[in-house]
Amino acid sequence: MQRETRIANFVLGALTALSLLLLSLPLSAPVRAFKAGTGYLLDPLAYHGEAGYRRIADSPMRIRKLLEADIENESLRVELRRSLWLATTVSALSLENERLRRALVLKAPAGRSPAWVHVMERDPIHWYRSLVVDAGYDRGVSLNDPVLGPRDGRLVAVGRVVDVRPNTSTVLLLTDELSAAAAYLSSGTYEGLVQGQDGPRLRMNYLNAEVRLSTGDSVYTSPTSATFPPDVLVGRVAKVNPRDPFLTFQSVEILPAADASSLQELMILRARPPVGEAKPPAYVPVFAPIEPPAEGPAAPAQAEDAGPKQPSVARPSRKRATVEASTGAVLKSMEALAVPNPEAIQ
Amino acid sequence: MIGFLRAVALFIGAMFVQWWWNTHFAYWGAAPQFLLVLTIIIAARRGPILGMLAGFGWGLYLDVARAELFGARALTLTLTAYIVGVARRQIDLRAAGPLAVTTFLATWAAFVAYGLLGLVFTRSFEWSGWIPVIMNPVLNAVVVTIAAVVWDVRGGRGS
Repeated sequence: MQRETRIANFVLGALTALSLLLLSLPLSAPVRAFKAGTGYLLDPLAYHGEAGYRRIADSPMRIRKLLEADIENESLRVELRRSLWLATTVSALSLENERLRRALVLKAPAGRSPAWVHVMERDPIHWYRSLVVDAGYDRGVSLNDPVLGPRDGRLVAVGRVVDVRPNTSTVLLLTDELSAAAAYLSSGTYEGLVQGQDGPRLRMNYLNAEVRLSTGDSVYTSPTSATFPPDVLVGRVAKVNPRDPFLTFQSVEILPAADASSLQELMILRARPPVGEAKPPAYVPVFAPIEPPAEGPAAPAQAEDAGPKQPSVARPSRKRATVEASTGAVLKSMEALAVPNPEAIQ
Repeated sequence: MIGFLRAVALFIGAMFVQWWWNTHFAYWGAAPQFLLVLTIIIAARRGPILGMLAGFGWGLYLDVARAELFGARALTLTLTAYIVGVARRQIDLRAAGPLAVTTFLATWAAFVAYGLLGLVFTRSFEWSGWIPVIMNPVLNAVVVTIAAVVWDVRGGRGS
């Protein structure tokens, strides 16, 4: 203990003397140098301490910014999803707008009130039978209204309405085996009955057994059709079936003009528009009448792309008049019988 | 070796904490004097020699920042360590209460000593201000109590 006391006293004396020496010395160059040296040694403490403090002090702000960035990131993700959805919607609407623009220039057969509708649904199992559109009683659609579709800048036959609900309707496609429509060939005005086969092609029966048929002929709806207006393109002859010696008529395979897999907008020719909608204009032939074909053997198709080269109903050719006289009434009744009347079924 | 490194770390760490607190958390000069508190607690637990050496070093550190009275803090802390080292023979400074009271009084004594040194060497009493003189002894007493508890918990009791 005594030794420790002595050492303590000695240390106290030494340190006190040193302190008093420092205190008594004026701030001369050696003292300032000593202070500067000590300050130099201790300066990193303050410098790095300040930097560390700033880092720690800024942590709440950084965390806040991180949280704000996370929130902003989330909102931007939502906005990006919305933008993508909008872009998709705009793209779809643009395509639809383009289709509708093309459809707008199409002239509907006069005497009926056209209504553009969208295809809502189709039966994947019976692809060639029917589809559902988004118009019903609310838009004046009624049973047996003909349905046309746009194809290459013109309206082509698609089918007819067989079921009408308040907001939707069912369209029976021409390709359904229960469908039938009276039609004629563009090359010789020969009439027949176009019938569906539940497949991609149609079959045209009851063609005159004596005439020579060729592929590529256009097929148009006949004025004798109970459903369709006259001169609406149905399709083209894809194949002439071999003659059957036991039958009194010929038949051909027809490639429909309306592709069942690409139907999106359709035109329903309503018999009467709904209340409040403009009445249909008076009947005016929309498909320009052309020169009647020369008599004799059936001429090959001439400029079929320009439209049907058929006389209008008001001015039929002699041959066509003959055909109508012999088969028109029969075909009309057969067409009407081909599909059971939905109302009768109900 | 480890003990030496721990002592150096404590020496530098204490200076850092003192600077850090005084820079960012001192209000009107009221702040705990960690270096004084550590000088007292080292003198009370480890003897006056170690306390004086540490106090002198920390005092020089405190004096570096001042334009005048270079050595006053070193002398003040050295004397404080010596007095505490002597007092521990009469008082049980291992208990928190006596240690807090000793710190409280030593803080006031340090203020007075510093002022008197100023009076002697610069012919003006170095008055630290009312708020530090009133608040710092209280803060130092609180800090020394906490430090003593921490010291004991870490195994310093009886050493």
